[in-house]
Amino acid sequence: MMNRARFGAFLAGWTLAAACGALHAQTPEGGETVAGEEAPATSPPLIDAPNVQFSGFGTLGAVYTDDSKVRFIRPSTNHPGKENPDFGADSLLGAQANITLGPHSALVLQAVSREDALGSYKPRASLAFLSWAFTPNVTVRAGRVRTPFFMLSETIDINYSNPWIRPPTEVYSMFPFKELDGVDLLVSGSLGGFDVEFHPYFGSSNLSIYQSGRGKLRNVRGANISATRGHLTMFFGHGEADFSLKWKGEDFRLLASNLRRTLFPGGPPLVVNGEDILRDLSGNDGEGDFSVAGVQWDDGKWLFIGEYNKLRANRYAHHAHAWELTAGRRFGDFMPYVMVAGHSEDRPITSQRVQLAVPVPGAAEQLNAGLDSFLASRNLSQKSATLGLRWDFFRNTALKLEFTHARISNRSWGSFYPKELSFDDTSKLDKLMWKRSVNTIGVSVDVTF
Amino acid sequence: MSRSRLSPFRAVLTLALAALFAGATVPAIAPAAAETTRANPAAKSDTPATTPDVQLVASIDGAVRTLTREEAKQLFLGHRNRLNDGTPVTLIDLPSGQTRNQLYQQLTGKNPIQVRANWSRLVFSGRVRPPREAGSESEALEWLASTPNAIGYLPADVSDKRLKVLLVVGG
Repeated sequence: MMNRARFGAFLAGWTLAAACGALHAQTPEGGETVAGEEAPATSPPLIDAPNVQFSGFGTLGAVYTDDSKVRFIRPSTNHPGKENPDFGADSLLGAQANITLGPHSALVLQAVSREDALGSYKPRASLAFLSWAFTPNVTVRAGRVRTPFFMLSETIDINYSNPWIRPPTEVYSMFPFKELDGVDLLVSGSLGGFDVEFHPYFGSSNLSIYQSGRGKLRNVRGANISATRGHLTMFFGHGEADFSLKWKGEDFRLLASNLRRTLFPGGPPLVVNGEDILRDLSGNDGEGDFSVAGVQWDDGKWLFIGEYNKLRANRYAHHAHAWELTAGRRFGDFMPYVMVAGHSEDRPITSQRVQLAVPVPGAAEQLNAGLDSFLASRNLSQKSATLGLRWDFFRNTALKLEFTHARISNRSWGSFYPKELSFDDTSKLDKLMWKRSVNTIGVSVDVTF
Repeated sequence: MSRSRLSPFRAVLTLALAALFAGATVPAIAPAAAETTRANPAAKSDTPATTPDVQLVASIDGAVRTLTREEAKQLFLGHRNRLNDGTPVTLIDLPSGQTRNQLYQQLTGKNPIQVRANWSRLVFSGRVRPPREAGSESEALEWLASTPNAIGYLPADVSDKRLKVLLVVGG
């Protein structure tokens, strides 16, 4: 019920924004009046307007999961909704103010309300930075910006700018930190006929993860290069970070207490390397790096998008790679598209196996199975194929329909979550989730105003 | 408003060059009484014989003196918001319609849907400020005439003493 009440408040905000958008859209659409035939003095000069520009964006979306046993989730982005269809996965509302402070400086503020991993719709500051343009080609920004880790990370909530209802979860749940508090540099230039943007960044970031997880990035340092020529855009990036990841959920507590069992009350540990394993799963000493290569082609008729990402971490997170390929074809305001995507684990979070102090029949197998269940619940590996249709039926408004067939990989939960969660017998969860095929149907309306 | 810089010679030269560049007929120079003229009002009928060219314009008194086609393309793609000499620029968009679509298509090669997606991407990632959208052509004209750093576009058959033509984007 709590979730529903929160969504209700969110929906009220959405309605208000939609009303504003409709009023805005009522300004003369054609506007083809011949200048000079009207009294020119009726239009106030622009220079008198305050140097603040307001704009916004939103998505109202629902995902129906064709499976009564599991729920769809955008891992670390939203809360796995109990309702089906779930309005929490994609619905969001954002407002932005661009404030010009001087000829070279500006302040940009953006807040976004969407369901987070804890089920709250409390608005978050998603942009809050001061920018300073040193030269026409070099701008420094300090404050909060969007994490620029992957090709479309900075516009992860701007669904209007993307063909799909949401960027593929296989790729964008890989390293799902949202905001970067720090400083970045935007350097633009021309190179070999390409418009090039060089984008180094430095900062820190926080993330809540369902269930009872908390991630923190420190000393995030990386750089992206994007190069555009005509219809073609190429994107390359690499970053590194120190990170911590802490779990406090029931599944972690149970696993930890099993790995900390003693031979007898107050005695030595049963699992010799129990603490070693736990140090691989949760703590403050993580180091990771990620790389991305992407390409986009959009000639107005054909749209192609491809992206490949790789993540490595010394602990707490698995090594993985993810990819997606999209092809779309525009027919006027309609664009059907297909997408295939995959996320594969290259190395589990830990490869340690339980070592017992004394042989106890069946105990090692049971403890290892519990560990594997835990690792699987943090593994996003799956493959999916999506068929979609985007309809730009009104100015700044797009309707999208998507059908997705996803197959969760072995020893993985993919982008799904069990509907009934009980850790009494984790083998039941394994049986439920591993290698499961799930269909989802999504519908959404995106607006910008 | 000071119009001291408006020399008839310069106005004729600009229009002549613009016409030459675009292969359009030279619009009559505005008579003193009316500031804005339309060379061929018939072109505003529902079925124009040919699509008029689009001209990029700025205030005659403003900071924008020249504009290369490459600069214009970069500005309207949102890849930059200043001129080569560092002058910050405010872009003025016309409301949705033929002139706007034509400008973006010919300058950036993007159709209206691509243009809107591109601006939303750049604006909401905090890269650039969105263009100011005028409610009508006449409002755009007033804004352009009265805002020193504004660059906008109008059909090539519109001329106004307070504006200078920076570039004509032909079909």
